[in-house]
Amino acid sequence: MQRFGSRELVENVIRQNLCIGCGACNNLCPYFKSYNGKTTMLFPCTLPEGRCFAYCPKTEVDLDELSAALFHKPYGDDPLGYYRSIMMSRAGARAGHGLFQAGGTVSALMQFALEKRHIDGAILTDRKGIEPTPILATESKDILKCASSKYTAAPTLAALNRAIKEGFGNLGIVSTPCQTLAVAQMRLNPLQENTFRDPTGLVIGIFCTWALDFQAFKVFLSQRIDLAEIRKIDIPPPPAEVMEVFTDCATIEYPLSEIRQLVPEACSYCIDMTAEFSDISVGVMEGRTDMNTLITRTDRGQRIVDEAVSAGYLVLTDLPDENLEHLKWAADNKKKRAFAKAEEKAIVNTPAGTGPSYLRINHATLKKIRGE
Amino acid sequence: MSYLIDDNREGIQHLLMGNEAIVRGALEAGINVAAGYPGTPSSEIIEAFSKIARDRNIYAEWSTNEKVAMEVAAAASFAGLRSLCVMKQNGVNVASDFLLHLASSGTRGGMLLVTCDDPGALSSVNEGESRLFAKLVEIPLLEPGDFQEAKDLTKWAFDLSEKIRNLVMIRSVTRMSHASGNVKFGSLPDTNAHAEYRFDGPLLDMETGPMISMIVAAPELQHGPQQEKLKKAAQLFEDCPFNTYNGPESPELLIITSSACTLYVREAVNLLNIEDRVGILKLATTWPLPPNLIKRNLMRSKAVFVVEEVLPTLEENIKILAAETALETGIKTFYGKHSGHIPSAGELNPDIVISALTKILHIDYRPVEPSFEQKTAKMAATMAPTREMTFCPGCPHRASFWSIHNAIALDGRNGFVCGDIGCYVMGTLPGGYSTVKTLHSMGSGSGLASGFGKLKQFGIEQPVLAVCGDSTFFHAAMPALTNAIHHKSPFTLILLDNSGTAMTGFQPHPGSPFDVMGNTAEALDIEAICRAMGGRVEIADPFNLTETREMLNYLMEYKDGAKVLILRQACALSPERRGKKKFDVSVDESICIGENCGCDRLCTRIFGCPGITWDTEKKVSRIDTIICAGCGVCADICPAGAIQKKEVA
Ligand SMILES: Cc1cc2nc3c(=O)[nH]c(=O)nc-3n(C[C@H](O)[C@H](O)[C@H](O)COP(=O)(O)OP(=O)(O)OC[C@H]3O[C@@H](n4cnc5c(N)ncnc54)[C@H](O)[C@@H]3O)c2cc1C
Ligand code: SF4
Ligand code: SF4
Ligand code: SF4
Ligand code: SF4
Repeated sequence: MQRFGSRELVENVIRQNLCIGCGACNNLCPYFKSYNGKTTMLFPCTLPEGRCFAYCPKTEVDLDELSAALFHKPYGDDPLGYYRSIMMSRAGARAGHGLFQAGGTVSALMQFALEKRHIDGAILTDRKGIEPTPILATESKDILKCASSKYTAAPTLAALNRAIKEGFGNLGIVSTPCQTLAVAQMRLNPLQENTFRDPTGLVIGIFCTWALDFQAFKVFLSQRIDLAEIRKIDIPPPPAEVMEVFTDCATIEYPLSEIRQLVPEACSYCIDMTAEFSDISVGVMEGRTDMNTLITRTDRGQRIVDEAVSAGYLVLTDLPDENLEHLKWAADNKKKRAFAKAEEKAIVNTPAGTGPSYLRINHATLKKIRGE
Repeated sequence: MSYLIDDNREGIQHLLMGNEAIVRGALEAGINVAAGYPGTPSSEIIEAFSKIARDRNIYAEWSTNEKVAMEVAAAASFAGLRSLCVMKQNGVNVASDFLLHLASSGTRGGMLLVTCDDPGALSSVNEGESRLFAKLVEIPLLEPGDFQEAKDLTKWAFDLSEKIRNLVMIRSVTRMSHASGNVKFGSLPDTNAHAEYRFDGPLLDMETGPMISMIVAAPELQHGPQQEKLKKAAQLFEDCPFNTYNGPESPELLIITSSACTLYVREAVNLLNIEDRVGILKLATTWPLPPNLIKRNLMRSKAVFVVEEVLPTLEENIKILAAETALETGIKTFYGKHSGHIPSAGELNPDIVISALTKILHIDYRPVEPSFEQKTAKMAATMAPTREMTFCPGCPHRASFWSIHNAIALDGRNGFVCGDIGCYVMGTLPGGYSTVKTLHSMGSGSGLASGFGKLKQFGIEQPVLAVCGDSTFFHAAMPALTNAIHHKSPFTLILLDNSGTAMTGFQPHPGSPFDVMGNTAEALDIEAICRAMGGRVEIADPFNLTETREMLNYLMEYKDGAKVLILRQACALSPERRGKKKFDVSVDESICIGENCGCDRLCTRIFGCPGITWDTEKKVSRIDTIICAGCGVCADICPAGAIQKKEVA
């Protein structure tokens, strides 16, 4: 990974509409702040290299370096990334219940990790009205409050940076794939700071094909409905092709084709559907609203899944082969589309000395992704 | 300000500022009423009157704006009293609507318009000229050339005003108003005046009729007589003792000058030692010019050099007379602004006059060795630190602009602030985070914002804000806000309420519970006014950065109509805050991130309070406890919590 500073971050990410508003550059210093789903630089910073740039998942992402650090091999061509197992899962009887998005696997695992002190706090995404708001949860009830997906991109990692500043050193994090990338880069200690300690205890990635631009979504909804009346928003798993908006007296359906217009450009460059650099990744199950797909990637992840199962927090079953096939196909599609777009924009493996490259990846894998 | 001004010992001398000399002159003329609006360099005049008002039976007030001040003074004149109104040059623009009417209705008791211009714009946004108003509205213009004259000419002007039954304009400049000289006092008259407004007589009767500026187009009835008054003034000016000539009977060069330039010219001539080559015609009556006096003097020399500041007003008027009398006075070579010997912008000084004279008279004169000048410039560059214009330590405006800047940046729609006149003009500069993007006259920020707000139908999406001070609000922003509320123009007016007219020295304004004479006054409640006008009103303490920023973002998103955010916090120099620290502030060096990733010197590089300094050796910030005003705001911007504040017991 090459190191740059805030100037390049603004030039190459924010001005290029590549910023997804993940929050990784927020709260490191006074300069980057997120508001209304948009990350802004308030005042210029003069440093040539900084953490803001190093953590950002939308520039100078060296996939091989990250792979080597987490999985001890270069970035490979499995569309789901490196993993130890893939199962079907749901929250077990010991886990507290909430308005889970699907099987409640994420909330159950975080509860387990917190209650058994594997982590000292959890970085999650709550909401205020329709606005996703990052929080630090230090009690199980706060984890349950954050259950269910907010479909807009969220500055979740702003809360991570704040928690680190406040002295938390062993954090659980629930993050989308882009956020998971940022966390993986943070863990590399890219600026080689002497005082650095890996602040993570457990990284749970959630699958994502796209998130919505908060500002655009807010405008979309406010033109159609009184925002104050919204109780819940859901996208039921395929084959349903709708977004459901629940109010006290009605459920309104918007076709996904309309909703997809509100996806920011940044998502179309995203190569990762299953949060490949997590400890554990969780998604929905096609056709089963009560279950999750669970990918276990690291030793740490495996240990926690095993313990959570024996402690009754998590229930596992096998994943049918056709589901796995379909998942790979979907992930591969996303990756191929994103690489094609990024290569078209000439932001993959750009030569050193010409400024930052969006992605760096070994040629063998890149060729396979291209289908060559 | 001295209390010597009303010393009743005739013949005694006191060292007075030009502004004080004007006040003394008015006292000797038996003035009864004085009104003005604060503005540098004019503000000391009303303040001086207020100090002696009770003893001398004078009514003095800071009016809401200059137009009202002129109206208040005119009322006194109409009732037979002697009065003056005082303002800086920009104020005459504000008063000019009434001024034109007043000049045509005329006055009864002697009335002066005292304007203090600011060539070089030392304390102004521009160096706009007020002299031209005298020509425009056809009233006499007097300009004192030294401090004694500032007093004597003022007294003389009251008599002139009563002789011609019209307003007389006295114009001072910064270097006359604020410099001091010895002034020999005359006697003070009795102070029992009786006011009565008479209106029963025939229309247009100057003594007994109603005072009106004609309602129908009848130039022969009013405009003609007004011009007669001006002719009469010109006649009186022929023998005015304040127009003087000094020099040889027929000098090589005739210098014509007035006002503070008289001092520069005298100094230049003296330094160059050319008293035998040039003559100086110093004019106190610069409009209308006394034609015979000018003609007589023009005949002295073939070369004429007019020395005045800013526009070539005097120069052009002299040229007209020279053209009209060319047969008798002969063809002249003129030097001045049009010839390029004197600049038309900025203040003059003896050096500029010297350099012009050396060119005109081919004199070889070098005030300093060129190498010396280079050396001093070099030394100044290395030894004097560059200083940016910025707000005072502990100034509420710094905190306000910090929040405004951040709110606009976060909002992300390229919003902007329309500014106006006050200390907060610094909002245009890095010291105010370059937040203000338009800057014109008082109150015009709100008017512009009202206009920008209505451009939505043409696709403008930018949020519009305006800033305005509490005094400015009453002065000129209220009509603009009225307009915006009435037309539902969606902008946010940020009222920077620092409880006083801070920039000019804490003069009371209509929101103050006392007036300039120290009497209790009805304090108008800005918040209640804005609410009553129909605006959506919020209040915040600018020292609470988070609350202020959030409120601003909320108001920017709230689309309906005009919104008002009152940011209330007293000026750091106000009597209630000056010298009283709320917090003891210090930097914990062990925590300071300094130049490293995580801060990059936010406090000294961006925030910019002069109370914080950067230790270049230790690479940490520290508080200069002598300069720090103890507001504690910097503690809230420090990302590391290195700046710590402890409430002063
Ligand atoms: C924007 C988005 C897009 C998604 N797209 C897909 C997809 O295409 N395919 C798929 O299989 N699954 C997708 N998911 C994941 C899925 O919706 C569930 O989050 C996941 O299956 C876990 O379910 P659960 O019942 O265990 O969740 P829960 O136990 O209900 O927990 C949900 C967790 O998600 C976190 N969260 C919610 N919203 C956000 C957000 N905006 N950003 C970061 N974290 C958030 C919360 O902190 C909470 O901990 C998406 C999720 C999001 C947020
Ligand atoms: S380099 Fe460091 S201090 Fe500068 S903007 Fe980035 S994170 Fe902030
Ligand atoms: S993608 Fe994340 S880290 Fe990158 S600029 Fe946007 S908010 Fe900052
Ligand atoms: S803002 Fe705080 S951390 Fe940064 S230089 Fe100033 S005192 Fe140090
Ligand atoms: S407390 Fe800080 S901001 Fe306030 S005056 Fe002192 S140094 Fe300046």
